[in-house]
Amino acid sequence: MKILVCIKQVPDSNDTLQIDERAGHLSYTANTAFRMNRFDEFALEEALLIKENLPGTLVDALSVGPERASSNVQRALGMGADHGIHILDRADGYMSPLTVASLIATCVRARNYDLIMTGVMAEDTMACQTGQLIAALLDLPCASSVIKEEACPESAEIMVEREIEGGSRETVRLKMPAVLTIQPGINFPRYPSFSKVMRARNYAQELVRAEDLEIEEPRESCRGVRIPDVASQGVFIKGSPREKAQKLMNILHEKSLLS
Amino acid sequence: MENRTIYIIAELRKGCITQETYELVSFARVIGKGKRPVFLLLGKSMDDQAREISQKTGCDVIALIGDHLDHYNALSYAHALTEILQEEAAAWVCLPHTSMGYDLAPRLAVPLKAACITGVESAGDDSLGRPIYSGRFIEEIVPKTSRVVVTVLPGAFRPCEEATGPAGAVRVMKAPFTELPSQTLGTAESAHRDSALKDAEVIVSAGRGIGKKENLSLIKKLAAVFPRSAVGASRSACDLGWLEHKHQIGTTGQTVSPKLYIACGISGAFQHVSGMRGAQTIVAINTDIHAPIFQVAHYGIVEDLETFIPLLIEATNRTFPFQ
Repeated sequence: MKILVCIKQVPDSNDTLQIDERAGHLSYTANTAFRMNRFDEFALEEALLIKENLPGTLVDALSVGPERASSNVQRALGMGADHGIHILDRADGYMSPLTVASLIATCVRARNYDLIMTGVMAEDTMACQTGQLIAALLDLPCASSVIKEEACPESAEIMVEREIEGGSRETVRLKMPAVLTIQPGINFPRYPSFSKVMRARNYAQELVRAEDLEIEEPRESCRGVRIPDVASQGVFIKGSPREKAQKLMNILHEKSLLS
Repeated sequence: MENRTIYIIAELRKGCITQETYELVSFARVIGKGKRPVFLLLGKSMDDQAREISQKTGCDVIALIGDHLDHYNALSYAHALTEILQEEAAAWVCLPHTSMGYDLAPRLAVPLKAACITGVESAGDDSLGRPIYSGRFIEEIVPKTSRVVVTVLPGAFRPCEEATGPAGAVRVMKAPFTELPSQTLGTAESAHRDSALKDAEVIVSAGRGIGKKENLSLIKKLAAVFPRSAVGASRSACDLGWLEHKHQIGTTGQTVSPKLYIACGISGAFQHVSGMRGAQTIVAINTDIHAPIFQVAHYGIVEDLETFIPLLIEATNRTFPFQ
């Protein structure tokens, strides 16, 4: 089997972001550190588990982003991916999920992957679209929120369970090639191993320039980013830690929640 | 935006129309300036559900039926819907931001050449607001196409009130079957459920913000202070293996409505909040004053759990020295 895992690089912490009022979008500061989207770590781990289970399987990792995204690909190689692809895109500000999916779809269309996997969403933009869009652009079947999978290369099928609302699971049978977006909790992502990290350092990642790929025009734009209106009717309890504890207990006592 | 036809794709759970579907009517009212939406409903036989929607909302309903539509499936739904949706050059297609909605929305948007805007929590004059970075920021998105596919976050809008006027018209159509490379075989209850959570009057919940598994003992000690209490958890605390998934509260876990809910180190992503917003009193303890959980909490405390919970337990002992 040939598997592609799409991994996004996201800011490590939301505290280092600023709204650029002039440009109308979020900007990173000098303190912003980046790491792999946690949801994508689950997808990569699941691909590596398939590889361990089905010898001969190859796992490619792909990331779209500026120069720094190459460290994301490097981490994936350190975890055990066989090959790394970096779609170099220096675009700043709002990036439509369609742009990202379109870059990936165009880049991999002719590469005949049996499975394309990614996390159910990105921690930063929270759109839950990339995997499904790639599938729609490549005309492949797709299952999102996958919490269990069993690939059967002989019949070119994969059985998956999707986690749906209310504690239920939906069983779906897909013909491969197919796209899966992976739900966290499906596995425990491994740490990069020393020997693989050493190999990853010297590994020549495949660099693809975004401007060389023909893509769909974005169909929406971002007018700006703002801090949410705090709709809360709640109160912050003030004081020293000890005072706060006592005040809270008094409130709970008045509400008869302690008896 | 006003000239677009508004479609709502109804969602079914165990054969019933979900509350999230009715919330979309309120969303449609905002974007459509009062224009009445049209419901699209898919399933094996949908007479009762179609009548329910037409009576409750006064809207017209188109039911697409077929044995192959018994369970939700992205490809079979898209196959049944695309032709109808293509009839209108300008349209809103609204879905709930659920495992059905975000699964289907991109699949509809691509062939419709529509903008696809997901996880929407508010609608302005000509833009849609959607939370990013765990709700720390809201981005305002402006669709540039005449067709727009939108998924709306559960709980962001209130379910519509029952219509008092005449029921809408119901049209039932057979959806032709085609062999597709994806097939939904069925749904099953997950075994991971904890009845203790359902019955508890007080729930103390742990999130990623408790920092390490060892701090769970603090959460358990705090829960033990209250009679009829149980320990809950956010999705990420379960995914880290700190607690079993049967403790999980939220969209993919359990929905609870205890008298008191104490959220410890939980950031408050909508997936968690939609499972506990029904609690009578919500207390949130978190070091991050910007955490979205404080938007739903009645009482917020910005403190580190490791220092604060022992003080809180101590305070109980002072308030009730004989317990």
